[in-house]
Amino acid sequence: MFYKLKQKKNNLKKKGKQMERRNFIKSLMMASAAATVATPSMLLANESAKEEAKAAVVKGPNDMPLADAIKAITDGKEVKESDMIKLTVPEIAENGAVVPVKVEVKSPMTDKDHVKSIHILNSKNSNSRCADIMLTPANDKAYFSTRVKLAETQEIIALVALSDGTFMKAGKSIKVTIGGCG
Amino acid sequence: MKKVLLTLALAGTLVTAGEQFSMSKADKKMYEEMLENNPADIFVADGEEQFEDNFDGEEALAKFLEVSEKKLAEYIAGFPRYVKKMGNVVGLDQVLQAMQVEQGKSKSDLNSETIFNVLAYVKSLANDLPVSIDVKANKEMEDSYKLGEKLYTTVRGYRGLSCKSCHSLPGTVLRTQTLPEMGAANTGGTWPAYRMTLSNLVTLQARSATCMRDAGQEPLPLGSKEMVALEVYITNLAKENKKVVAIPGLKR
Amino acid sequence: MAEAKKARKAMIKIKPKKYKVGDTVKVDFIAIHPMDTGMAKDKETGKIKPAHYIEDITFSFDGEPFTKMKVWESISTNPYFSVNYKVTKKGKITVAYKDNQGEEVLKTKKVKPKEA
Repeated sequence: MFYKLKQKKNNLKKKGKQMERRNFIKSLMMASAAATVATPSMLLANESAKEEAKAAVVKGPNDMPLADAIKAITDGKEVKESDMIKLTVPEIAENGAVVPVKVEVKSPMTDKDHVKSIHILNSKNSNSRCADIMLTPANDKAYFSTRVKLAETQEIIALVALSDGTFMKAGKSIKVTIGGCG
Repeated sequence: MKKVLLTLALAGTLVTAGEQFSMSKADKKMYEEMLENNPADIFVADGEEQFEDNFDGEEALAKFLEVSEKKLAEYIAGFPRYVKKMGNVVGLDQVLQAMQVEQGKSKSDLNSETIFNVLAYVKSLANDLPVSIDVKANKEMEDSYKLGEKLYTTVRGYRGLSCKSCHSLPGTVLRTQTLPEMGAANTGGTWPAYRMTLSNLVTLQARSATCMRDAGQEPLPLGSKEMVALEVYITNLAKENKKVVAIPGLKR
Repeated sequence: MAEAKKARKAMIKIKPKKYKVGDTVKVDFIAIHPMDTGMAKDKETGKIKPAHYIEDITFSFDGEPFTKMKVWESISTNPYFSVNYKVTKKGKITVAYKDNQGEEVLKTKKVKPKEA
């Protein structure tokens, strides 16, 4: 009898814990549903920890930090921020595997005056280069769209080279999160 | 446990920031634009090839289902259905398997690329038609619906969750991942879909099995009475919300 | 899955579907390609999947290149690229890519402007 009582107690305890958990999860769900809050920083891929982890990881052959990539493209020339560049990216990426990026640059795209190339760069992937697009007047518009992989919250930069030899850029930050259930 | 408590605490302190946790309108627009260039379109085109070459196309499907080719698309929009010659409420993927068996071939696994791609193509024939599942068509459908409703609302697994726990209110978000209210989100009409996190086209049942695992539940087997019943229930939610078929979908 | 003995699939789309000479259309290119970074593990074998990504892409009209791209492993799997093109006459747009393992894929789409 004693054994049975113990079993009952354990089962009740189990149920109790389950109920606790259920109620807790219920409240969490309601909190999630009701909350209109800014992203709690801990839910964003933890940035400083990742930096450290990255430094320890074996690097790939294409690895190049942002500053070096920009230098390689501009050869150290001045790059101005410009609002002639319209960079469209999501504020919060629904997932880090497929993040849409669209670049539109105001340009007549004539032989004398056109966008020579658009360079899509990122600030935190070990290879900061995503794509180099060499356009010609046949494109008629300086436009490019693609989708990139982002491991964590970071900036996407559109670096533009003009036919007159000058450079300009625009950047935007994208929040990349862990996501909820899978 | 601690992490979650901390999150709640932070959530509490940041309420006044007012920034919506789920996608903004501008972001939503970007993702809608992505639908126009869905990598799954290529898988669907592949499915079309396989459907023609290995399943003998619409003519064979219409014949198997005992409907005219003209009415095939509309008939497809009403799946899952009770198919008398199969003696069960089934999804179109199971119909494809039955066709293979009838043709003397070995049947493809429900969890295979062949079935996923061909199913996507076949279902896409009904694109823009209303989701028209009829859960009152006969007793078998009624029973399946009741079972599906039960499965949707019953708590199971070590996390003490049911489908309803997470998927009942529109706008529910868990760590920025949308947990769709399936009627409003047209879940019944947008799968098979391209899952961006998998870079692959999968079916609703396959996706549900993954979700069940993540939710701490033993996943229901694809094509089982229970899984089909769940799909019946979910598809009916889309119908109640007057949704149309839009295959392939694009999902996280 | 058997490594591609079949050519990798890709698709070119021109938008809008109806256009005239002088119109600027959008040229969309989607390719089925793993775009493996060389840093991810294969879920089944546990081994690192070697880097396998598209490197160079050329968009041409009747053999004349009008856009060239150099891309890296940060581009999403099953990538999508889109540019504009001003239609000058009837012809063919070709998109050709080469990946870091030497695989080459070529896709063609007819350019058929409507009579003005």
